[in-house]
Amino acid sequence: MGQLTFAGMDGIIILSAFAIIMLVIGYLSGRGEKNIHQSLSGYYLAGKNLGIIALFFTLFATQYSGNTIVGYAPSAYRTGFSWLQSISFMTIIIGVYLLFAPRLYVIAKKRNFVTPTDWIQHRFNSKGITLLAIFLMLWGLGNYLLEQLVAIGQAVSGMTGGTIPYQVAVLVFVFVMLAYEWMGGMKAVAFTDVMQGIILLIGIIAFVAGGIYLAGGSFGSITQFIAENEPAKVAVPTAEVNINWFSMLILVGLGASIYPHAVQRIYAARSEKTLKKSFARMAWMPLLTTGLVFLVGIIGIKLFPGLDREGSEQLVGLMANEIASINSLFYWIMIIFFGGIVAAIVSTADSVLLSFSSLISNDVYGKFINSNASEHRKVMVGKIVGVIAIFGLLWIAWNPPGTLYEIFVLKFELLVQVFPAFVLGLYWKRIHGKPVFWGMLIGAIVAGILTFTGNKTIYGIHGGIIGLSLNFVICVVGSYLTSASAKRDPVLEEDMNAINL
Amino acid sequence: MNKEVKEPIRKKWIWIGLVLIVLGNVPWYFSDSMVKPYIFGFPFWAAMILLFSVIMCAYLSFVCLTQWKIVEDEEEANK
Repeated sequence: MGQLTFAGMDGIIILSAFAIIMLVIGYLSGRGEKNIHQSLSGYYLAGKNLGIIALFFTLFATQYSGNTIVGYAPSAYRTGFSWLQSISFMTIIIGVYLLFAPRLYVIAKKRNFVTPTDWIQHRFNSKGITLLAIFLMLWGLGNYLLEQLVAIGQAVSGMTGGTIPYQVAVLVFVFVMLAYEWMGGMKAVAFTDVMQGIILLIGIIAFVAGGIYLAGGSFGSITQFIAENEPAKVAVPTAEVNINWFSMLILVGLGASIYPHAVQRIYAARSEKTLKKSFARMAWMPLLTTGLVFLVGIIGIKLFPGLDREGSEQLVGLMANEIASINSLFYWIMIIFFGGIVAAIVSTADSVLLSFSSLISNDVYGKFINSNASEHRKVMVGKIVGVIAIFGLLWIAWNPPGTLYEIFVLKFELLVQVFPAFVLGLYWKRIHGKPVFWGMLIGAIVAGILTFTGNKTIYGIHGGIIGLSLNFVICVVGSYLTSASAKRDPVLEEDMNAINL
Repeated sequence: MNKEVKEPIRKKWIWIGLVLIVLGNVPWYFSDSMVKPYIFGFPFWAAMILLFSVIMCAYLSFVCLTQWKIVEDEEEANK
């Protein structure tokens, strides 16, 4: 997004306004609520009292990042109509939630869980599994955060035409994010998500409208142009693309629903009714977001034909420049839209950071280092380590290690390995700790090795899915082979018969 | 207990339905010639995929709202 010269000073004004609004929301959410800083669930889960509007928007703004727009439009540009898969793989996440969220919500409320690890610890009571799960989740969150930090800087410096340099942009927005998160925890994150989500939605809709106007007003003429010039992009996908499509549905569905910040939003719901209504609305959002972004990419094929891979990455910026020059209304909408992209990245980063801190507070510090500490102290440790982690990640972002960069690409592939323990554990009484541990470990190693050796996919199937299949097999076969002699825990028995809850 | 409890995981038809929709949502069953006719500017196969995507959104939204009720009655009564 390097050529966004249309914005400059106006962009700075909008960005500053957004930053101030975020800070004010953070300040207001923390003000007068002493409880926020005294309790883990107060700070990390907004007192488990998020209503429908805040819950819906925080689910939305967290799941859809600025990358969903800036990165997915070029994907549609390069692959053509088969990028329709982005609608399905974002929708299927809700289907996967339905596998475990209803029961997990009930148990989490009853047992006062703060992190996903609380459930794993409660279910298996094994240090090995807990530590491995914490490691995989922190790894996934850390890399996800790193990605967002890099994206913030690119988006801001692009938008202001370099008036605000990349590193200054990152530092300013990181500071804003840390400040409101420090003041209001999850409550501040959720309330800022409402504002960030609305701006993003308005921006995308305006963007598509402007794009269609530029391309001559009819979608049919755009497709006709593509069919004549790049027929592969309208053709029926090949078998390998279809296999990859299935694989993507599984990887994103299982991976995105099990992200710690996603699970914590289940815990933070005020009631079952609030949670299911939020999910029911979320099920429609892929059409409005990834669906519209898909259209942006397709329109781009006609507006800017023949871009190479690197050139296509600039697609959103190129189109925004054109749209902004239609008239002054579109000019301002485009500036707000780019502010919206920055807001969307920040809204994802803040949730990921909060979740990261909660794992440090509640799991690493609270379970393994100082379990007798007061909740206030645990919250404080999580906050401080979160700040340190951010600056550590910034250092990595600005001095990327030349050879091992692939390490930082692994997110879903590793994170998804927690899924069998997490979900099979909810329903299957026979499942045994040892095979769960080995399944998770071997699944993660296989996924890691495949990615490092450049085999991110094999015949279209993602390395993470191959690791996950192995993981499932080890869990299931191992549990059948292990004698079910473990003594039964009455509390767990009660939870697993969730209907009696 | 005399309350009505609904948990999606216990209802097989939900998952059979979802698998069928997913199978319809990946374009493995089209022949190469199914680019035409164009429907609202979408190649025929892509229009079908889009249709299945909309069905998936509607289906999951419907399941959330109507097939999930474990503690709702108690929570609403305690308000």
